[in-house]
Amino acid sequence: MLTSDSLLTLGAATAAKAPIIAGDPLALLIPAMPILGVIICTLCGIFGVRNKLPAFATVLCLAVSFAVTAKLFMGHDGGVSIATGFEWMSLAWGEGQGQRLVADFSLYLDSLTILWMLFVTGLATLIALYASEYMSHDVGLGYCRFFAAFNLFVFSMACLVMGDNMLLLFLGWEGVGLCSYLLIGYFYKKPSAVAAAKKAFIMNRIGDVGLILGVMLTFVHFGSIEYREIFAACQPYIDLAKAGKFNEIPAIVQLIPILLAVGAFGKSAQLPLYVWLPDAMEGPTPVSALIHAATMVTAGVYLVARTYPLFLLSEYALPIVAWTGALTALVAATIGMAQFDIKRIMAYSTVSQLGYMFAGLGVLTSTGAAFHVVTHAFFKALLFLSCGAIMHGFAGQLDLRKLSGVGFMKGWGVVGLGMFVGCMNLAGFPFTAGYFSKDMILAEAFVTPGMAPIGWILLLTAGMTAYYTFRVFFRVVVGPMHYEPGDELHHAEDDSHGHGHGHHDAPAADAAHASDAAHGHSHTHDDHAHHEHGHGAHFHPHAPGWAINTVLATLSVLSIAAAGLYFVKSPYAGGHAHGGAVPGMVERSSAAFETPFSHHGAGGAGGESHDTIKEGGHEGADGKAPTHAAAGAPSFVPTAIAKAHGAEAHAGSFFGYDPHKAMYYVSGVVGFVGIFIAFILHYAGRRTAATARADALLPAVGPLAGWAQNKWYVDEFYDFLIRKPLWFFSNVFYIFDKLVIDGLVRLVGGIPRFIGAMVRPTQSGELHGYAAGMAAGVAVLLFLVFILTMR
Amino acid sequence: MMERLAYLWPEIAVFATTCIVMVLGLSRSLAVRKATALVSGLGLLVALYLAITTTPGRVGAGLVDPAHGQSFLPTMVPFAKCLICIVALILLPLLAGTVDRAEEARIASGRGVFNPLRSNRAEFYSFFLFSVTGLLLVASADDLIWLFLALELTSLPTYVMVAISSSRHRAQEAGVKYFFLGALGAAMFLYGFALLYGATGTTNLNKIYDIFTASGISTLGMLGLLITLFGLFFKIAAVPMHFYTADVYQGAAPGVSAMLAFIPKTAGFLAILLIVGTVGWRFGPDGSGTSLPEPIRITLWVVAALTMTIGNTLAVMQSSTKRMLAYSSIAHSGYMLVGVIAGPGDASFSKSGIAAVLFYLLAYGVMNVGCFAALAAIERKPKAGEDEAREIDHVDDLRGICRSHPVAGWTMVICALSLLGLPPLLGFFGKLPLFTSAVSAGEIPLVIVLGLNSAIAAFYYLRLMALPLLEEAHPRAEATEDAPFAARRIAGVVSAGGVVLLAVLAGQLMTQSEIAGRYMPQYKPAAAVESSQPSLMDALQAVPGVTGGRQ
Repeated sequence: MLTSDSLLTLGAATAAKAPIIAGDPLALLIPAMPILGVIICTLCGIFGVRNKLPAFATVLCLAVSFAVTAKLFMGHDGGVSIATGFEWMSLAWGEGQGQRLVADFSLYLDSLTILWMLFVTGLATLIALYASEYMSHDVGLGYCRFFAAFNLFVFSMACLVMGDNMLLLFLGWEGVGLCSYLLIGYFYKKPSAVAAAKKAFIMNRIGDVGLILGVMLTFVHFGSIEYREIFAACQPYIDLAKAGKFNEIPAIVQLIPILLAVGAFGKSAQLPLYVWLPDAMEGPTPVSALIHAATMVTAGVYLVARTYPLFLLSEYALPIVAWTGALTALVAATIGMAQFDIKRIMAYSTVSQLGYMFAGLGVLTSTGAAFHVVTHAFFKALLFLSCGAIMHGFAGQLDLRKLSGVGFMKGWGVVGLGMFVGCMNLAGFPFTAGYFSKDMILAEAFVTPGMAPIGWILLLTAGMTAYYTFRVFFRVVVGPMHYEPGDELHHAEDDSHGHGHGHHDAPAADAAHASDAAHGHSHTHDDHAHHEHGHGAHFHPHAPGWAINTVLATLSVLSIAAAGLYFVKSPYAGGHAHGGAVPGMVERSSAAFETPFSHHGAGGAGGESHDTIKEGGHEGADGKAPTHAAAGAPSFVPTAIAKAHGAEAHAGSFFGYDPHKAMYYVSGVVGFVGIFIAFILHYAGRRTAATARADALLPAVGPLAGWAQNKWYVDEFYDFLIRKPLWFFSNVFYIFDKLVIDGLVRLVGGIPRFIGAMVRPTQSGELHGYAAGMAAGVAVLLFLVFILTMR
Repeated sequence: MMERLAYLWPEIAVFATTCIVMVLGLSRSLAVRKATALVSGLGLLVALYLAITTTPGRVGAGLVDPAHGQSFLPTMVPFAKCLICIVALILLPLLAGTVDRAEEARIASGRGVFNPLRSNRAEFYSFFLFSVTGLLLVASADDLIWLFLALELTSLPTYVMVAISSSRHRAQEAGVKYFFLGALGAAMFLYGFALLYGATGTTNLNKIYDIFTASGISTLGMLGLLITLFGLFFKIAAVPMHFYTADVYQGAAPGVSAMLAFIPKTAGFLAILLIVGTVGWRFGPDGSGTSLPEPIRITLWVVAALTMTIGNTLAVMQSSTKRMLAYSSIAHSGYMLVGVIAGPGDASFSKSGIAAVLFYLLAYGVMNVGCFAALAAIERKPKAGEDEAREIDHVDDLRGICRSHPVAGWTMVICALSLLGLPPLLGFFGKLPLFTSAVSAGEIPLVIVLGLNSAIAAFYYLRLMALPLLEEAHPRAEATEDAPFAARRIAGVVSAGGVVLLAVLAGQLMTQSEIAGRYMPQYKPAAAVESSQPSLMDALQAVPGVTGGRQ
């Protein structure tokens, strides 16, 4: 029998009632293998291994992790189980509620965890293989350092995603932050890389304050930081929220999700904390691909999805998340349109796409957000790795005005293809994976009452995304063949551990290359017929080898195949969830939340039954959607949303059409228009790499283009608003510290010396003096005791 | 008397080894002479094994065999013996090459033949083992006479060891000073023992407890207790009996100084626990408290506070590393006295001061050896006119040794940080229960003094950490070289490794010391009840005139 409660199913409900199901202990291998990798790479570093052993050990370890994850996925029944590792922390200072802090190294295995780990370990394996070639200039200590940090990252990510409590999540959270810092600053002799690493680290700290406060408040209020218990404990509040009685939920509880969201914004580079991510591109490209595009930056999305029940408890949390996401998406897209560095464009697009995911979470489609995370992980990794291959081959050249027609050069076919597939996905070209996942978010934004403005923002962003994506494609991959090498060649005198990309196998020619670059020679492909320079050397693009090509090809296939996820059935009982396999998985986790509205679409309700979101016996398989659609009463909408529009429990619409259907066409058209504009402005009639028709338009947009190119001066604004005052105050406090605090400290520090100096004469070194001192001391003390105890 | 043997096996093993070593060291064969240290080590290993296995009242299950051990701290004996054997085993390699170095060099170069009269090796190692035997006997003492003899057996060999540890004038001066002042200390606690006997009419600690419980503590008894404590303060180098410490430590070779910082101190603390145990932690403002009788408490309180403060403040002033470590040794005695004041609490680890003291003795023993080992492992090349290399002592000599002598340098760094009580290391786990037990005993002011002193101590321990690790080598350091005894570096590595490793195993150690720290005054061992056999004292009483003073 269905109750109205069962409409809304949260992992909490299942977790509260279900006893702890012991998970497959094999799952512990997933974090264990990367740690093994760390140890191997460290040992390689200690013993001075100078070959690719660390890379292949890493690939092997991560592949095992992936295999274990896949096995878990195959054997998973959609329920929640906990694989107990070891007791990590257990503190008790009393018997009562909230006087016991338990945080075990145990893994929370549900479909959300497995979904995340599937792409984390899978991509990590592929990218490690790619990096084995990409980092080959640094074979030796740097290579070991790189792969040790790489493994440590995967371990941290596993802790973050799989931990069954918030402390383990926090460990992973800080771990990935550390690894991100280490890997961005991998070229630690390059000042810009060091600055970028510091920036990333510090920006993340701001978010971490939010996260840690959120975790603390969770413990203070719920008395536990284990998800199982938190979800069980917040059940009463969910009932209140369902009834719209937000004022009966304590403010402290409503504060928790907002604080957690701050943490998520920091890690996932959302407004106002996004500025670190573009700079993070200073790291080696595999790092950008894995950490700063595919996995780590989705940790914020994961956090929100994992603690979704908490987010439902606040009136404002989800709208905040939605608006932040939408605005970030828009701002980042505008900046991305004006950049010239292709890796930075990809970085801004990552920020923008992350904004999509947050918007998706905020408009109550955690499934859409998660689906977009997965598809984005594949195609963005692909795009970054393709850019990396170009950077690798063209000596660090990333300026789209200096590269053209790369896809048609000899040996660069796979890269061109990879770029094509990635761009199609990112632009949301119809029937690509990116199209379906973006669609779900867009549609749901129009469905959810009060969220239509977000839908419009996202739609506009989608057009801009298509434009800037294909701007890169039309400038770099196709068109007349032309290139200028970058300036990162091997410099014989530069020992900054070989941060050069050029001919590795021709060191003798490198010096000449360097001088080539210094003279600013450009080589168009036409005169590729080896006309001799005065220096007698020539720059050849360094086409990618087997490892890079294999990875790019695999990722291309996976990016295309990801679209299939939309059509395959949910892997779990009940079958046909709306939107395919990924939503099917998400709906079985704590992130499961679907608005009742998604059923109200004109014709959609009949066919699309959300059977998997019910707990218990999966009645939905027979009880069709009308059962609960007709119930009508379940008007759980975060009241903020409901109030804003007064639209009680009725689906939004898109000009009178069902957004789910309309979006298929609208977003397809928008994407197409973006691509078309890019084609006109950047491909048609372009003769050189440096200029295109778009340049003619620059005067028309006035200073806007310049502002966007300068990232809307946000960095300068932060500098003025935060850094300058901080400098000022730090100088003031420095003086205060010098004069007052130091003075006090010196005074206090002088006391022991003073006492010492007073006592020192007793250490005369004379025997009779000592004997007398002992006797006198005993006498004095005995007398003292006598005085003190005399009654 | 015979049943005592059952728990004296470790002592017997060490004593037997002592006799063997005394002979081996006089052999004409260099190989046999060199085997003395090895045989000593084997003897200690056997003793450790026996302490773990044959001593009744084994630690494991926390059960006590009623037939053995002294009464009120029955479980302390096996733990104390194990910790003594372990630290002695770490100390042993540090003693390598302390004596006979010039003599052996002379023989090796063919300029002389072995002359037993000029060799000190046999005495040196056997005296070390004698001292350990005495220390083991202190742990199992249940009688004042036994305690006195055991304490003197612990101390007497050390006087000689100090004097022969170096051929320099300073060592002999230190030995003489140590001997005379030690005699003064011994006289003092002997006087205290005599007063105790006078007050209670017995030398058996259990019986003294019974009498104190039954008829209260007489003024004479209290005076005896206090004077005894003051005498024992000499052993632990507490104020006002601390004067000798710095001179003696500085004069002796580093290995011997390390030994002095552990063996007499442990003997003193075990004896203090036994003596204080005869009155028990059952007094308080309202008569049913959990603290020591007021005069004893005040004495210990004042002495603990003074000892910490004077030790630390004087250590801050030192430029000689050995003197600095000597004052640090004084300060650590002050810390441990806090545990004695706190008493057994409710016998849980965090509240039992006795467990804290026992744990700290082990921790201090291990980390202290490391600091001295770092000093012993480096020596200055002999200058013109000197026939002997000298170990480094001045703090400037420590600059940059992490680079020039990594083993010694890192040993110093790790052990200094542990002595400071830095969290992941053993010293932290040692100091923590001292704080918690004192807090739960309500000795808040003393805890504040303890905390302030820990902060002062950071001043000089951080110097010992920073000089080797962060500073550039001092110009004078060019003249240093590794001492030609790998054993000294091994002692350092074992000690530094122990500081890290035992911290990992701290949970297990805490459980063991918690069990060891159980104070069970109500518990009557069978031996005490049925001791109808005349003891030595009873026999003496039978002789008219010997004990005539007693009423």
